[in-house]
Amino acid sequence: MKKVYVLIGNYGSGKTELALNFAFRAAEEGKRTELLDLDMVNTYFRLAEHGKLTEMKEIRLVSPNFACSGIETLSLPAEVASAFDMDWDTVVFDVGGDAVGSTALGRYHQDFMDLEPGALEVLNVINIRRPLSGTVEKIIRIQEEMQAHARLPISGMINNTNLAEATGPEELRDGYEIIREVSERTGVPVLYTSGKKQLLDRFLSEGHDPRYIGTPMYIDTYMARDWNSWIKSL
Amino acid sequence: MALTLMKGSEAIAEAAIRAGARFFFGYPITPQTEIPEYMSARMPEVGGCFLQAESEVAAINMVYGAASTGARVITSSSSPGVSLKQEGISYCAGAQLPCVILNVMRGGPGLGSIQASQGDYNQATKGGGNGDYHLITYAPASIQEAINIFGFAFDKAEKYRVPVLFLADGIMAQMMEPVEMPEMIDFKVDPEKKPWAATGWKPGDDPAKRAVINSLYINTEELTVHNNNLQAIYREIEKNEVMYEAYMTEDADYVITAFGTVARIAKSAVNELREKGVKVGLFRPITVWPFPYKELKEAAVNAKALLDVEANEGQMLIDVKLAVNGDKPVEYFGHCGSLMPTTAEIVAKILEMKEGK
Repeated sequence: MKKVYVLIGNYGSGKTELALNFAFRAAEEGKRTELLDLDMVNTYFRLAEHGKLTEMKEIRLVSPNFACSGIETLSLPAEVASAFDMDWDTVVFDVGGDAVGSTALGRYHQDFMDLEPGALEVLNVINIRRPLSGTVEKIIRIQEEMQAHARLPISGMINNTNLAEATGPEELRDGYEIIREVSERTGVPVLYTSGKKQLLDRFLSEGHDPRYIGTPMYIDTYMARDWNSWIKSL
Repeated sequence: MALTLMKGSEAIAEAAIRAGARFFFGYPITPQTEIPEYMSARMPEVGGCFLQAESEVAAINMVYGAASTGARVITSSSSPGVSLKQEGISYCAGAQLPCVILNVMRGGPGLGSIQASQGDYNQATKGGGNGDYHLITYAPASIQEAINIFGFAFDKAEKYRVPVLFLADGIMAQMMEPVEMPEMIDFKVDPEKKPWAATGWKPGDDPAKRAVINSLYINTEELTVHNNNLQAIYREIEKNEVMYEAYMTEDADYVITAFGTVARIAKSAVNELREKGVKVGLFRPITVWPFPYKELKEAAVNAKALLDVEANEGQMLIDVKLAVNGDKPVEYFGHCGSLMPTTAEIVAKILEMKEGK
């Protein structure tokens, strides 16, 4: 059965990074994979920057024609239809940030509704170290807004709490505590917890309730920039 | 306080609010649109005013109006938008209105590109508008540094009654870094401390206390006196407000000069070259006006040569040359438009200079 992952979330929560990781993992398992850039908000930090990398891994990348070319107005490419019409094993949608970014999904409402039951996973990527996702109330508010704009129910949350290069063991732990409360209040399950191997292993060994961890997902970082190394020297 | 992961635009906007800014007037332009976006959500939460003006020209004149009341006011834009603001900035300087202006530089000239650049150095430091005026101009090199500077930027603007300019670039606004935010200050306009401010004159009040905010002096003698006062203030600022960072310059044979984001790249180059045993240092002006002429001269006193690195045609190069005043050779490396110099390019250039090519 075709599996469709839709990654939404607060601006800067790590959606593009996770989209690449979801797609790469599927491709490594030998799945026919399509990765779609549906970000209509930000002109920077686009999947299109990783065109060569995705091509190497035999992933089909669908990206707005003008992404990364310095054009300020983005448009949805017609090829998005291929996600629904073609016979993929795995399809990953990387969506723009916040409710405003989720709006792009509304255009494909009927296509999503026509998917086989169980095929669709709409995932809210959460990093509680982002200022607008720092509390239970803020996360619930953004989640409700995104759900309304996307016209899709959120299947689950991803705890992707990090501080980029400065991430320590307390990031996932604090994220776990807050996202657990969001889950308890809203009934939306935690489906994944993601992080770099060493930090995620350490978090997993701490004996937290697995119901609020979901599937652990080791990630590699592709979107990081040189300035992460400059931090140390400044 | 815990660190948060913030985008430059958001962090700058929040830092301004925590420093007491309660009025934001602006107009969207990439790569700084996240600043007005953030302000539009945040200002109502703190009882402030966010207003999207019909143009950059209108926005800077709204700044003029709000700053006239003694409030803490901010506007932001990117290069072409800041060009539009120049007339109003000159008016603010002439009327001695404290305010903060942000320029998130992008490629130019004209509409240029939406990628980062440093092409507005001359506009910022040599005056983009008319008349003899200066702005205290900060060129932070990290989001945290921008936040920290906001901690005193309004104080400086008010102390000297000059507009303050932040000279950042697209990278600074778009990058995300873990940062620590200061606590919110409780800022209130104090008419005693700001007798010049238009805080509400009522009939029956002392007519002498009526605030008139103006940059027009029809009488030549009066305009000369006014300008002399401004010049005296600028000399005070030059004496007191220079900020810079000298990194490994003490024993350096080569001193790299760079500001903002490019200085960060240059710092990585310095570290790489030091590992190769090459004695290199970095001199980074944090205030590009007033420029640290004396401090740079001292930092480069033992150097064989200087290398100025910029993401422009070498606009700061002139100030670097003025600082060493012909004592040392000064070379330039950089790109115009929006291409950032890389660590590898800077390393190669220094090695070339060392080998005497």
